[in-house]
Amino acid sequence: MNIFLQLVANGLMLGGLFAIISIGLTLIFGIVKVVNFAHGEFLMAGMYLTWIITVGLGLHPYVTVLAVAPFLFVLGAMTQRFLIQPLLLARDDHVQIFATVGLSTALINLALLIFGADIANTPASGLRAPVQIGPVRILEGQVYIFIAAVLLVIGLQLFLSRTQTGRAIRAVAQNRAAAQLMGINVDRIYVLSFGIGAACVGLAASLVAPLYPVSSTIGTYFVLTAFVVVVLGGLGSIVGAFVGAMIIGLIDSMAGFYIGSDLREAVVFGVFLVILILKPSGLFGTRVSLSHIS
Amino acid sequence: MQRTETFAPPAARPVYLRPAALALATVLAALFLIPVVVGDAFIYHVFITICIFAGLSTAWNIVGGYAGQLSLGHAMFYGIGAYAGMILMNMGVSPWIGMFAGAAVAVVASVVISYPCFRLHGPFFALATIAFLEVFRVLALHFRDVTGGAMGMMIELKLGWEWMVFRERLPALVIAYGMMLVCLGVAWAIREHRLGYYLVATRERESAAKAAGVQTVRVRLLAVSASAALTAMMGTFHAMYLTFIEPAAVFSLTFSIQIAMFALIGGIGTIYGPLLGAVLLVPLTEIARGALGAQALGLHGFVYGVVLLLVVLFMPNGIMGALSRFTREKAAETPSQAGPVVSMPRAETRPPLGAEVMRVEGLQKHFGGLHVTNNVSFTLREGEILGLIGPNGAGKTTVFNMISGFMRPNGGTVSVLDRDGKMHQPVSPGDFAALGVGRTFQIVQPFASMTVEENIMVGAFYRHPHVNDAREVARETAHRMGLAPWLHAEARGLTIGGLKRLEVARVMAMQPRILLLDEVMAGINQTDVRRAIDLMLSIRDTGVSIIAIEHVMQAVMSLSDRVIVLSSGEIIAEGKPQDVVRDPQVIEAYLGKDFVHADH
Repeated sequence: MNIFLQLVANGLMLGGLFAIISIGLTLIFGIVKVVNFAHGEFLMAGMYLTWIITVGLGLHPYVTVLAVAPFLFVLGAMTQRFLIQPLLLARDDHVQIFATVGLSTALINLALLIFGADIANTPASGLRAPVQIGPVRILEGQVYIFIAAVLLVIGLQLFLSRTQTGRAIRAVAQNRAAAQLMGINVDRIYVLSFGIGAACVGLAASLVAPLYPVSSTIGTYFVLTAFVVVVLGGLGSIVGAFVGAMIIGLIDSMAGFYIGSDLREAVVFGVFLVILILKPSGLFGTRVSLSHIS
Repeated sequence: MQRTETFAPPAARPVYLRPAALALATVLAALFLIPVVVGDAFIYHVFITICIFAGLSTAWNIVGGYAGQLSLGHAMFYGIGAYAGMILMNMGVSPWIGMFAGAAVAVVASVVISYPCFRLHGPFFALATIAFLEVFRVLALHFRDVTGGAMGMMIELKLGWEWMVFRERLPALVIAYGMMLVCLGVAWAIREHRLGYYLVATRERESAAKAAGVQTVRVRLLAVSASAALTAMMGTFHAMYLTFIEPAAVFSLTFSIQIAMFALIGGIGTIYGPLLGAVLLVPLTEIARGALGAQALGLHGFVYGVVLLLVVLFMPNGIMGALSRFTREKAAETPSQAGPVVSMPRAETRPPLGAEVMRVEGLQKHFGGLHVTNNVSFTLREGEILGLIGPNGAGKTTVFNMISGFMRPNGGTVSVLDRDGKMHQPVSPGDFAALGVGRTFQIVQPFASMTVEENIMVGAFYRHPHVNDAREVARETAHRMGLAPWLHAEARGLTIGGLKRLEVARVMAMQPRILLLDEVMAGINQTDVRRAIDLMLSIRDTGVSIIAIEHVMQAVMSLSDRVIVLSSGEIIAEGKPQDVVRDPQVIEAYLGKDFVHADH
């Protein structure tokens, strides 16, 4: 029983991690309607920046979010402005896919050029210390990640529903042309949204870095799971991404114990394929079939 | 009747082909001769790598380019071939046999994987292929008894042609070069024949392709199978060439992206684009890697990524696209698109109406609680023109969708007379096409990147499987529809009137027995309406039955033998056109109650 509870706790903590990484991805897709294949590399960039600042200035990793989130906001906004925006009217979607795939390839290898193939460890600052909660034992850093993910979901929902900018973003997400006719600067909203989505990854990077060593390929490792989470939750749905992350976290944790740790990923991707094929709109997605969005 | 021969197609084709063919021959010859003449081991290695990537990328292009299914998981077929060859070789089976075993497994895998994924498009198809690739990688790591797991597999060193392993470089180049030629040959054969046209049509507009009788799932599965088989065979050879494989390197996303990238850079969907991409990029990065070695870890990947970004931004159709724009510049001045519909000679006497060719009984369709079609029944006779009119939202197009297989009715039956004289109840668009039912779409569905001629050919292929016959029919049809001046223009450049005519031309090229026309007169000028009416009458006189949804009353009145009026999903009137337009119920449906007595 204790093992089972421990597995559930691990699953939820893993879910928190997946959630905080995936929220930016689903936000960008929901609004700009672009699947950002370079999302994982945004995370990688943020984690390297966290590492540089913590090691260089001796700051607590969480403090670096003040620099990392704005840095990623700019990176995301520039990606939208200079890469995606010129391609929004492209008649084939392969152009948009290759654009972010190309960005991803360039960033991974740029990191390899700069930092080499060695992994970089961000000082843990006590965040890897275990905490005993009842019968289960989890890492302190994991708890903060989980809390941050919950707060981020609530914060974004409030922002999107209560503020004028948030309403404009939702309008653009629902009908680009109509929003434009209502006097909303659609291009600006897209740049802003991409920036916010990337900034969310910046937050994730600062929180994740003390727990996971950084390498140039860390993005690929996380982003594939993030895609699973986001499709499961319904692309574009923030709450969906959170719930999806919890489900995938639990599946990952259970499969790792009961099926075998080396087959974990196969199970997760198996679930992903089943959802993609049977219910591509996900748990919380709109009823629009994904095959018509591109 | 005027037969204006001034619109002869530009005779530039063979001339334009010659420099291209020359360039291709030069590239192919250089690929073989340079390493042989130089004789340096490193140069050999670079050219063998070029051949392998050119072959892989060409094979990928059959799916990613022609069919437009953007696979980023093609390394799984490569990996299947590599492991099949390696495992069998270590069991004492020659890779020449292992190659075909791998190809067979890859074909099965590709069909099983692709079939459920075809409803996914663009990024979602790409994501699904990535996920499958990951599953393959994890499984290859897991079953270490078979694959050697993370430790990888090494071939037992057996030299000679039988084992595909050589100490000297020339034989390896011969094999790589030969396999690349096979890939190019297959890609060429597919693109230049009916299958290629069908693939591109399916990519551009799936429903229009279905209406033209294309079995879209079948053609895509054929493409995927061919692509997977070629990729697996290249994989077997590459494994023998490398002598060592491991899951991380073989079932690799980066590798899949590279394969796709050469095609994009060279020109996605073109026959020789992938070759061009590999020829230009592989030496660049191989030489950088050779010269800088481990210092430049990541450099070649960075170059790939940046080149990809630049190509996407500034040359989205790749090098081939840029080249063809250059050569097509001279044909840029397109004539005005208000070209005449050639009037057709009419038979003196009209043949009498024949037997019933279509019978619709008690058709029902509802979306949730909304009844869009309620108990609609009618018949159509051979050589008859039936007008289908009604106010907006009456459910006319829904009826069309149900009598062409695009929508399943909730109740009722549609029966179509076959050539054998029996009534059949077709289900899918393919079944309807097979019985000779052709349709147009109210919202035009051109195959945008194909030329007008190619668009019509897709229809013509239904009766004429050979390219030359289909082209002949397409030209003739284009001429009848007044589209001859734009035969070689891309369909996306046509005006709405031109596109409407293209819809009709495509379906006419299928030589249907029953023609369903959805508002084909909307948006064309008065003169053309009259010509179109004459055209339809001449089609009718050849024994074709027509059902036409039309708002142009002039056309409805002068064309229709009978008119059916649909309102809120029900038939409210039926009869001769002159009678129907006086029917008070019809006037009420169109104009409201107040107008019913207006002219009394």
